[in-house]
Amino acid sequence: MGKLESRNIEKYFIHDGKPLKTLDGIDLNVEDGEFVCIVGPSGCGKTTFLRIAAGLEKPDEGQILLDNQPLNNTGPDRIMVFQEGALFPWLNVQDNVEYGLKIAGIPKEKRNQISHRYLDMMQLTQFATSYTYQLSTGMKQRVAIARALVMEPDVLLMDEPFAALDAQTRDLLLVEMQLIWQKTKKTIIFVTHNVAEAVMLGTRVLVFTHRPGRIKKEFKIDYKRPRISEDENLLPYQQKILAELRPEVKK
Amino acid sequence: MKPSLLAKKIGFYAMIIIVWQGLDSADIWPDNIFPSPVDVVEDLAYGVADASLFYGIGTSILRLIIGLTIAIAGGLVLGIFMARVETVNQTIGSLVLGLQSIPSIAWVPLAILWFGLTDTGIIFVVVIGAIFAVTINTYTGVKNINPSYIEAARNMGAKEGQLITSILIPAAFPFIISGFKQGWAFAWRGVIGAELLFSFLGLGFLLNVGRQLNDVSQVIAIMLVIMGIGILVDGVVFKKIEDKVMTRWGLR
Repeated sequence: MGKLESRNIEKYFIHDGKPLKTLDGIDLNVEDGEFVCIVGPSGCGKTTFLRIAAGLEKPDEGQILLDNQPLNNTGPDRIMVFQEGALFPWLNVQDNVEYGLKIAGIPKEKRNQISHRYLDMMQLTQFATSYTYQLSTGMKQRVAIARALVMEPDVLLMDEPFAALDAQTRDLLLVEMQLIWQKTKKTIIFVTHNVAEAVMLGTRVLVFTHRPGRIKKEFKIDYKRPRISEDENLLPYQQKILAELRPEVKK
Repeated sequence: MKPSLLAKKIGFYAMIIIVWQGLDSADIWPDNIFPSPVDVVEDLAYGVADASLFYGIGTSILRLIIGLTIAIAGGLVLGIFMARVETVNQTIGSLVLGLQSIPSIAWVPLAILWFGLTDTGIIFVVVIGAIFAVTINTYTGVKNINPSYIEAARNMGAKEGQLITSILIPAAFPFIISGFKQGWAFAWRGVIGAELLFSFLGLGFLLNVGRQLNDVSQVIAIMLVIMGIGILVDGVVFKKIEDKVMTRWGLR
């Protein structure tokens, strides 16, 4: 029994009037505190799987269990960080970060206290009153991560959150993400198409097949942290994963 | 406003007044048909002196505010319902589009029959004139919301009611504000039009009085007041709100 369990998840989409199988029996057991990265070719259903885990989409077969309880709706126990952040432009940074707490009816003083902690962790304190149009893409993703962490979810679901960042900003956030994970001991499922990113972050990396998505192979990454992108000792891991991934991308 | 732009505008309006005065001095038309700018200003001054002008403006604006407030509240509710419940859109939605094509002035006979020559009748015309513009813009705004906003909010635990106030309305606000602006424009036309026909206080009533007294300068004076209020609301109130919304929502 793991923290989050996926049992035989299948999903179809309607394409040109015909059902198209997108996920083909995803069986996965994520242990408490694990950092699982999913890599796969585009269109392999990795984002769909994450959305099903978040309860934003329903599977056609199978179920998701959290602490052994089957789930069929979305909720703050599994918070999703979206690819483009999905920050609310009408709220400033602090109000964005506090949104989920406010919805939950937590009083203002308590909210401020919690948000300050995470704004500080994400080095956003001086931007607390800024609006999203005043922030760089990297800053926006920091806010999105802070907004997710504030909810103290059981599982953090991250959908290519660093895909739109420049290389320097991404390297910085990849290191910070590891520190946050070590500090908060969160269970994280992280979807990416970038193998180097997966190897830096994951305790385990899953390779999805081309559509319909299945788990082709998984790799344990036992290596000291924080891992940095220049570390050549990570290359053999990347090469092994790429060897599995390459034929799928070409399909 | 840049000084050069301000100079251009002042020059333009000064020219209109000069040409106007010139035409009057040329004595082509009699004064009771074509008054001079001075006559019009004098008429405005009378209106100010005996406060009848302020009373007229106040009456019209009050009707406008009451009508527009009801229209905005109703339009928001209707628009959100249409956007969130497909059946409502398929049924009431088509009716709204049809009703919007009726000019608000065409509701006046019905308003008189239903409510008599009363304030309620005029406000009815204002509401019905403005509500569909607010409805349609709100609907469009809610339909165009980035789905990630709604998903993120639901993911963080927002229930449908919380979703409406904390996400749908603010996220659709750039559209909703256009709806308010259109709604106000329709409401302003509606209130003046209805007052003309109801002939029951307000700026429209003063216009009608001017016509009955053959007082062309009063008619023109009141028209200038109607235009002035329009410019003030459009160019100052709505422009400020729009600028702020567009910037904050990252639309410019």
